[in-house]
Amino acid sequence: MSLSILFKDELQGFYKSKVMIVLWIGLPVLSILFFLLSPDTGDELPLTVMTSLIVSSLAGTLGAVMLAVSIINEKGSKVYDLFLIRPIKRRNLLISKFLAVYVCIAIAATISLLLGLGVDYYRFGGIPESMLSSTIDSIIISLAMMGISASAGVLIGVVSPSVLVGAVLVIYGANQISILPALTVLVDAGHERIFSLGIGILLTVILLLIATVLFNRKQF
Amino acid sequence: MKESFIELEDVSKTYSGFPALQNVSFTIEKGDIFGYIGPNGAGKTTTIKSMIGLITDFEGSITIEGKQMPSQRDQIHKILGYLPQKVSFQEWRTVDHALRSFGRLSAIEEDILEERIEEALRLVGILDSRYRKIKNLSGGNIQKVGLAQALLHKPKFLVFDEPLSGLDPASRYQVKEIIKELSRGETTVLFSSHILSDVQDIATKIGIINRGKLIDVGSLEDLKERMKVPKVIKIEFYDLVENTQDIADIEEVDRVEGQDGFRLNLYIEEERELSQASKEILKKLVDMDHNVKNFGPLSPDLNELYMKYVQESDVA
Repeated sequence: MSLSILFKDELQGFYKSKVMIVLWIGLPVLSILFFLLSPDTGDELPLTVMTSLIVSSLAGTLGAVMLAVSIINEKGSKVYDLFLIRPIKRRNLLISKFLAVYVCIAIAATISLLLGLGVDYYRFGGIPESMLSSTIDSIIISLAMMGISASAGVLIGVVSPSVLVGAVLVIYGANQISILPALTVLVDAGHERIFSLGIGILLTVILLLIATVLFNRKQF
Repeated sequence: MKESFIELEDVSKTYSGFPALQNVSFTIEKGDIFGYIGPNGAGKTTTIKSMIGLITDFEGSITIEGKQMPSQRDQIHKILGYLPQKVSFQEWRTVDHALRSFGRLSAIEEDILEERIEEALRLVGILDSRYRKIKNLSGGNIQKVGLAQALLHKPKFLVFDEPLSGLDPASRYQVKEIIKELSRGETTVLFSSHILSDVQDIATKIGIINRGKLIDVGSLEDLKERMKVPKVIKIEFYDLVENTQDIADIEEVDRVEGQDGFRLNLYIEEERELSQASKEILKKLVDMDHNVKNFGPLSPDLNELYMKYVQESDVA
């Protein structure tokens, strides 16, 4: 019960925030800009591929930064005091935040990818099956990477004493660890999609679990 | 005999080896307004945070309405309202949105939530700010939103940490009246304050803490009694009293201290009961043909009492 109330609340907070508006509009715009300004792509590289690359690397990092900064600030300004004295589970505060940001960045990523697909459909007069398949791969890897980044953002938010430390940890920690689902493509072991998704889910759950255990022990 | 509602037994808490609370024990009865006073860093907020479950790694036992904190925290939180020293909300929230969320989290039924929000905002006097963003309100009004969220679910136990600091005199009066009214409705209130006159105005029981140790607990009268505050009657005369010897000779009077010949302080012998002695003294003064303008007990305020307690505990 409290999780759904908190989730709706957080979703409302995040989608109203300027950062999210920038992300929803900025991510597709950025993809197109990169595509147009890139000298080596030529006419053959689909925008969908470019968009996938941008989404995978940026959306997760932005989500992680948003989560870490939001948790650090709210911890510091004692916002949680009024929540923690109500009959709710402490972990729900973190999980609702994670889910809200994850949904928001997933929407931003979907908008970008759909835009890429739309442009490619117009350019090539259809979507070749190989492109569709690589797009699905990209979506899965992006979703997995965003999950890891966002959960790492939650953990960093819980443990970091300041926004500066949090931001550094996100860039040098969350960003690096989130690449793991993409490595399955390199090893070419077959079932890449399952492996990517599996690694994504597993790491996301582990990071969230550590974050909630630490948050439960925290003295406010 | 009132029912015991809250019991603290030997509650201790240390921060990196520093003892913030040392064996603090007291009880609060149902419907009491418990004023918790002490210097900065004395342990007031640590006690409060332990009682409401924000601090859970304390030693000792805290029981609220028969439930243990922190093991039965969820059950205690259902009957708890809390206003922190500095209340803070997420920036994007409006007053209405914040109260709606807190109401839902406190399990207020959806069909009465609207009515409760309006009632709480009207009570604290900011109904006209209902749809404004909290970050655009003044500090005093943000504090009132904090008060509204604490009252929203009509809790049995209200905890206020310095609720009156940052409020203008009119708002302070209003909040004190709200606290008194809630107490009449059997809500138990604990509040900490630096403004001792406010504590004196509304508290039915007072706890004094210094350096993590509870120095004393009781009603203001109990504290005065225990501190052996001298019983003094203050008299004002219409005419100048040049010779106070006849007054000093009155049986009930221990000694006389004059101020300017028109006003005297009469110290009553310790073993005598103040009201009875007052009656006798007034009668004798009239018999002596003194023109008495004002006559009444000089009651030391909480300020004096508090300073005495704190100084004695510092020396100890």
